[in-house]
Amino acid sequence: MSNADKGLSVVDLTVAYNGVPAVRGISLEVPAGQAIGLIGPNGAGKSSTLLSIMGAIPRGGTVLVDGVDVAGLPPEKVVRKGVSLVPEGRHVFADLTVMDNLRLGAVGRRDKSGYAEALENVLTMFPILSEFSARQAGLLSGGQQQQLAIGRSLMADPDVLMLDEPSLGLSPTAVDTVFEALDVIRGLGKAVLVVEQRAEFTIAFCNRTYVLHDGEITLTLKPEDANNVDVLTQAYFG
Amino acid sequence: MSQLLQSLVDALSAGATLGLAALAIGLVFGVIRLANFATGEIITAGAYTLIFTWQLGWYISIPFAIIVAVLLSLLMELSVFSRMRAATPATLLIASFGLSFLLQRVYELAFTNNVQTAPVASELAQSISIGGVRIQMLSVATILLAAILLTGLQLFLTRASLGLQLKAAAADFKTARLIGIPASRVIGLSFALSGILAAAVAFVTTVQTGAVGPTFGVPITILALVGAVIGGIDKISGALAGGFLVGFATSMLASWLPQDMSNFKDAYVFMLVIGVLLMRPQGLLIRGRGAVRT
Repeated sequence: MSNADKGLSVVDLTVAYNGVPAVRGISLEVPAGQAIGLIGPNGAGKSSTLLSIMGAIPRGGTVLVDGVDVAGLPPEKVVRKGVSLVPEGRHVFADLTVMDNLRLGAVGRRDKSGYAEALENVLTMFPILSEFSARQAGLLSGGQQQQLAIGRSLMADPDVLMLDEPSLGLSPTAVDTVFEALDVIRGLGKAVLVVEQRAEFTIAFCNRTYVLHDGEITLTLKPEDANNVDVLTQAYFG
Repeated sequence: MSQLLQSLVDALSAGATLGLAALAIGLVFGVIRLANFATGEIITAGAYTLIFTWQLGWYISIPFAIIVAVLLSLLMELSVFSRMRAATPATLLIASFGLSFLLQRVYELAFTNNVQTAPVASELAQSISIGGVRIQMLSVATILLAAILLTGLQLFLTRASLGLQLKAAAADFKTARLIGIPASRVIGLSFALSGILAAAVAFVTTVQTGAVGPTFGVPITILALVGAVIGGIDKISGALAGGFLVGFATSMLASWLPQDMSNFKDAYVFMLVIGVLLMRPQGLLIRGRGAVRT
């Protein structure tokens, strides 16, 4: 496989709830080694896009992971094709320890033998998880839980990492920590797709950012557009 | 004093039995939101197996009862519930009622409406005297059995990868699938474990009564469901604790209420249940929704 084929490719994706369209035929590329943003107002279809790529909700269109069509696969099999989602609200298993959460993240690994190395990498990236490895995940702060949720996803060794609002409810310091980690993950050659509400921040961080409005991509932005008020206004208010 | 100790042991035993039954329901509920009323018919199937095979020896009869209970539990999942994945919990509950009634009629056709009897582990029906307190061997055996099963289950859920996957799925099934835990594996596992627990309940209750009819498992399932709900059916430990509490309270009331009132012991238990649900509708062991930590 050429490097150009690696990553996520979405073509003409559609999602509808009881016949009401939520995503209307969007197409996007998330190449390996790049972070791509997806921003837009509430109800634009951002989370539906991520969940449909994971196979968690029915969809139309084509989703290619490293050039392989994942049509009709349930979430657990999409994970085994190399896609991981860090869900909105983190959803760590609160009653389980940090280490157990990480162990569970490895269930979806394609290469089971790489578990020890993956664990070491995650604990190096997020040292706080090592310090609190025996602590119940529900007792961690929001920022620490987000690090755990990302670490848990990385345990599956995904080629494509998707994050749904990773900064939601976090302090500015915690947001910085999370995005510094995402920068490292991008540097490791993984394709990163970030859904966010914080427009300026996301546009500046990502290699390219799509604006989603009422289920359609209405704008594609570059990092240099981050401080352009006119562009941001257009992105959110049309 | 000796009467108090005796009734305490009996209550612990009744609590352990209902705790196991409630756990059988809670394990499945945690994963697919099904409060399986037909758990009663799994208990009945295990009990019939014990009655009909006991003369072959306990070492054949007990494993056979476990196998029958597990297979029936898995069959329910494969033939009925796996086809209803998108159904709401209320629809699933109604479906399980239907399945329960259907199986009761099947038992009637197969074994008639009359109770079938056999002296299953009759030696456990004897009493022993410890320091002047007469204690039923069955009560001690029930408490021991529950302790062994719960310890084994706890070890499985915390040490084994499969157990951890089941625990995670019971806590948050959608997220479990999103991180790669196979749905069919954990659902099948929850039904199989539920079958094992139902077989244990079948053993204890069959030894107690020595007689099994088509609706044998229904009363214990009703109380176990109630127990699971007041403990917090959303959580495995909640279901277990709730089942134990209801069994314990029922037994204590039966021992200590005056003769003319003890016929109404179930009414007092349900008053307690209503009180608990009014104060903690989410269940005793489920934490209230607190502020989101940031």
